[in-house]
Amino acid sequence: MSDITLFRAKKIITMDPNLPQATHVAVRDGWILAVGDADCAAGWGDGTVDDSLADSVLMPGFIEGHSHLMAGGIWKYAYAGYHDRIDPEGKLWKGVTTAEEVIAAMKAHAETLPEGAPVIGWGLDPIFLTGERLSRHHLDQVASDRPVAIMFSSFHVLCANSRALEMASYTRESNVEGVLKDASGEPTGELQEMAAMFPVLRRLDFAFETITGDPAAIRAFGAVAQRAGVTTLTDLYASMNPGDVEKLQSITGDDSFPARLVPVVGAVGLDPVTTATEAQALRAQSTEKLRLGRIKLMTDGSIQGWTARVKWPGYIGGQPNGIWNTPPEVLDTQVMEYHKAGIHLDIHVNGDEASEAALDAIEKAQRAHPWPGARHVLQHCQLMGIDQFERCVELGVCCNIFANHIWYFGDQHVAMTVGEDRARRMDALRSALDTGVHVTIHSDAPVTPLAPLFSAWVAVNRRTMSGRVLGAAQCVSVEEALHAVTLGAAYSMRLDREMGSIETGKRADFAVLGDDPTAIDPMAIKDVPVRGTVLGGRVQLL
Amino acid sequence: MSLPRLPLTVIGGYLGAGKTTLINRLLAEEHGQRLLVLVNDFGAINIDAALIAAEGGDTLELTNGCVCCTMAAGFYIALGQALDRRPRPDHLLIEASGIADPAAIANAAKAEPELSYAGVITLFDALNGPALLQDARIAPQIEQQIRAADLLLITKGQTPDPQLVAQLEAIGAPAPAALPAEGPLAPLLFELMPRPKAPAPVPHPAYVRWQHRSDRVLTRAGLEALLATRPDGLYRLKGFVLTDAGPMELQLVGRHRELRPATAEATALVGLGLKDRVSPEEIEAWFAAAEC
Repeated sequence: MSDITLFRAKKIITMDPNLPQATHVAVRDGWILAVGDADCAAGWGDGTVDDSLADSVLMPGFIEGHSHLMAGGIWKYAYAGYHDRIDPEGKLWKGVTTAEEVIAAMKAHAETLPEGAPVIGWGLDPIFLTGERLSRHHLDQVASDRPVAIMFSSFHVLCANSRALEMASYTRESNVEGVLKDASGEPTGELQEMAAMFPVLRRLDFAFETITGDPAAIRAFGAVAQRAGVTTLTDLYASMNPGDVEKLQSITGDDSFPARLVPVVGAVGLDPVTTATEAQALRAQSTEKLRLGRIKLMTDGSIQGWTARVKWPGYIGGQPNGIWNTPPEVLDTQVMEYHKAGIHLDIHVNGDEASEAALDAIEKAQRAHPWPGARHVLQHCQLMGIDQFERCVELGVCCNIFANHIWYFGDQHVAMTVGEDRARRMDALRSALDTGVHVTIHSDAPVTPLAPLFSAWVAVNRRTMSGRVLGAAQCVSVEEALHAVTLGAAYSMRLDREMGSIETGKRADFAVLGDDPTAIDPMAIKDVPVRGTVLGGRVQLL
Repeated sequence: MSLPRLPLTVIGGYLGAGKTTLINRLLAEEHGQRLLVLVNDFGAINIDAALIAAEGGDTLELTNGCVCCTMAAGFYIALGQALDRRPRPDHLLIEASGIADPAAIANAAKAEPELSYAGVITLFDALNGPALLQDARIAPQIEQQIRAADLLLITKGQTPDPQLVAQLEAIGAPAPAALPAEGPLAPLLFELMPRPKAPAPVPHPAYVRWQHRSDRVLTRAGLEALLATRPDGLYRLKGFVLTDAGPMELQLVGRHRELRPATAEATALVGLGLKDRVSPEEIEAWFAAAEC
């Protein structure tokens, strides 16, 4: 018989209605043996008492249902965003608000690099910078003899210095869509969309696959999770090339990797029949800390980029309706094939026309091949109303709602995309719960920071960056928000048998907190300190 | 940069428009060029097993020097690998996905100094296409593919319905024409000027070829005016033009043109179009009207 460890905590929030609160949890072989008070495991024999969490509050380990591996590897570049952020090593990067601060941050980063190496930043959001728009002239002050480039937070635009433009042969003669020019006809340094960015990225050796494929990047992603109290997290548009499974098994299998990773393979443009077979084969290679075999499909783009497909009356600025990354008839075929093969799907839907197309596709698949427990997940769900939530309930579809958008983009949605009336009911967590949908909420990191307590804070308070409340009717209680980032997420990922609550028979995965989010001002939930996690009974404090 | 620029042609069109069929024809044709094709998946690539020299991972090498790669790891990764490939291929052909805007892909050819723009060919399926143009959800993206075309080829129909041609022209397609049912497709892609020692291109009845050589000197403004009024059916035009501002090298594909100072002793041009849409006389009359 293996050893029993009895953890004592200041408080344990279990998410188990049979025993909502406890003070002790006993763990054996990585699983929860008993929950309750000091005597909860007495009947199982002697154990060791672990007091290292005695002044902490434990919750079920948070589960992030929509993040991207890039949230780890991107930190090898300098952060140049508006909001303060913490990197995987725990270093605080102060947000930048002026071009001067951008220059200073990039200069400091340049000094950490080998001489002459490209200086690359990310996360810039030009709408928040005061003063004139960032141009190559600003970045020439970082360095004029080596290339400098900053990716914007959208990753669809960058700004380069004169040296980088020269390497890419961009001049006043360049006649390329996306290469911005100033009043005198010279390139400003701003390059929009991948085609225009490609010559610079290629010469600066910036490749998205190395940001996600490097072992260091994968470990950094784990560190990001640990800092946020997350014990299970997704990489929600993974590609699996030969050798990747072995690499991921090896990295995640090491005790030093602090989380369980769920790569979800992006399948846009892939043949669904062969990809479904591959997904089944991948599923068989899953381990305790690496869960394989899920597939992600795309429908539309983003609302703030006006590329989401929205129903009438469309965008308030009169922009044309967005684009399909997968046309509805193809989505029908894809959903049918994966559903038939028993593959769990995550489907990106931002606009309400896209969510409707996804529900239509799932309904057809469910009629042809009934699968009551499929639990396919719609991702983002930003404009879904009660009518569509009702269909989710009928079809057993879960919703992973992009709560963080309310804070980061809510004001823009009011002013620039869908207007006050529809922005008020965006990311409608209250309606979804009242309708009976199984819901979770997410960060889409690195788009917004990976931090389930922050996501919960947004869901509870619905504040925007300007400080207003956007759609008070859609606020949820603290308990409901915490359920969404634990058991709600576990249910949507079909992992609720093992995770999501602290109860006997589940994995001993905990978030270790410095305060009790249910006992404080709801406006302070986002500031509850995360002290680390416990994964399979292994304590991993920061 | 000692390597020649890699010409890039994009094949666009909705699902079922015939992109793969066209690629299969190009790969099997005897054109003597090292064609590199980037496709979405190998599933539909149909190559005689005897022509396959090597096969592995995401690459298929043919005995005729052509290579086919998938873009499974991402388009821009595949594009970077295509540029890094040695020896450098003679031509790069990219199969856009069924809903992609081919202009966005072709823009990379304008941006990247190691690439040269060699046209967007959009295929339009005469059988199923018209219904798609009635589908409000997908029509805007199909229309964009049509507008992006330097050459719009109608597939799956013998003689295109004049009403359909008019509809496509109204959307913005230049000179829609039927895809030549047989004969070579290489003239749509490859070098118009015969290489030294290479055999002169064999004319094929599906194409019109026009050549001009003289010591005419055009005014710079006259050249601009001339190019602005070129026949719709003249798909490609390449060569040198003597102007009062010095000799210029001209390269024209559909509505894309590059004009740059060069050294040349004569005005020498080669043009190409589809027989259905243009005649040598029409091109000759157009060029003869230029202001000297």
